[in-house]
Amino acid sequence: MKDIFKDVLGIEGVHGAIALNAEGGLITSRFSAQYSEEETAITQFTWKAFLLELGDITETEFVFESHRIYVRKNQSGCLLVVMDDIAQIAMVRLNCEVLLPVLERAEPVSSKIGKILKKKIF
Amino acid sequence: MIPKVLIVDDDQGLLRLMEKELEDYEEMFSVRTAADGQTALEILKVDHVMVVVTDLRMPGIDGFELLNRISRQYPDIPVVVMTAHDRPKTREVVLKSGAADYVTKPVDSRKFAARIIKILKKKAEGGSLHNVTLETYLQLVEMEQQTCTLRVMCKSRRKMGVLFFRNGDLMDARIGDNKGREAAYEILSWSGVSLSIENVCLIDSKQINGELQALLLDAMRSKDEILDVDGELQQDELESEGALLLDTPLNEDEPFPPPPGDTLLTDRVQIAAGESELPIAIEMTPVEVFRKKISDALGTKSGIGDVYMNMQWNGLLDQAEKMGMLFDAGTLNVVYINSGRNGQLLIVPGDPPIVAVLDPDTPRDRLIGALA
Repeated sequence: MKDIFKDVLGIEGVHGAIALNAEGGLITSRFSAQYSEEETAITQFTWKAFLLELGDITETEFVFESHRIYVRKNQSGCLLVVMDDIAQIAMVRLNCEVLLPVLERAEPVSSKIGKILKKKIF
Repeated sequence: MIPKVLIVDDDQGLLRLMEKELEDYEEMFSVRTAADGQTALEILKVDHVMVVVTDLRMPGIDGFELLNRISRQYPDIPVVVMTAHDRPKTREVVLKSGAADYVTKPVDSRKFAARIIKILKKKAEGGSLHNVTLETYLQLVEMEQQTCTLRVMCKSRRKMGVLFFRNGDLMDARIGDNKGREAAYEILSWSGVSLSIENVCLIDSKQINGELQALLLDAMRSKDEILDVDGELQQDELESEGALLLDTPLNEDEPFPPPPGDTLLTDRVQIAAGESELPIAIEMTPVEVFRKKISDALGTKSGIGDVYMNMQWNGLLDQAEKMGMLFDAGTLNVVYINSGRNGQLLIVPGDPPIVAVLDPDTPRDRLIGALA
């Protein structure tokens, strides 16, 4: 599942990418090795509250002093790409357009772990 | 300007006592007090505090939390922690958390004052200069690749700012809780300043892009366009002088009034006419400032429709800022939104936020670039 972000991570300036389901559950994420701290930090964020505020927004960009976070959303979930402010944003948008349908086939990490545990126990 | 020391403690009796006892040192530093961490943070936003002294155990934001927040938001302000519960482990944790010093209660006012004076002297260890031309001194800092923290005091404007240099590179700037490029521009536009120089820079990552020379040029350009005016201007004087000096001509096709239910524009921003024009101050609303910024960058065909202020997006902006803190992304400058219901919008965070409606074929990246 993490391989879906291989092309996005290849874009210069991209730190990492996150996929969430419609309930704000983390499906998967992938960050470059140098940004591993950022990948750890995302587990501490309440994505559900963030998605609630997004409402029916399908696309948004948050431009910070040193970072840009691009968000692309549909009914199945949400893709976020974290990057430098100088990253090639057009390429990121294009990649997200291609990746968005993949969300419909994905399951969150927590439900996968639940299934594995069920298999082991039962 | 006499340095200001902020003492934070929920014990009001102690605060009054310390204020009284430290009056003997009023020529060295002045004292301001706060009864809790939240008030202290509000004071730091608007007042030029040089040192913070905080009790450790307080309700609400305690001393640890206050130390943490000041270290992040105001890294140039040293924090002295005081506590009645002296334990070696506490001392170790406090000092490792970035406190400049640690004192135990009850506080001996003479020893306390000596410690404060020592900290203040360190801030000016590299020397002090008065009535300097800032740009000349900064060019020297750049040429000599100095690492320093410069505290810049502008007497005429009663303001203080801080510039952070590492190896001659301008890393960051701060005025109150305003940081980055905007703070740098404002400081660089000041004339006849006093400087105190500390030979350290606590900022590791560069928060201001661009060369110092380019920043100085831009600041000088904006300095030439600004005239401070003493005294108040009467409305009829303005009108009789033909004082409507907007750079962008009013477009009758563009409605300025915000949609119903939006916040009234009560905050106005002062800008001034250039020397060649009437020497009067003109107030522009935040929306007008926004429009001017866009038209300066993109001309009149910017693709911006309605511009208004609206608190509807505060929830999203709040979440975005929290997300930004996760990644240490800095200040949130602008947000682009594409939603079925609202179309395309640009939102500039503020109190309240400014919202601009975009035409379908708006050059979005150029607009974002102009605002970021």
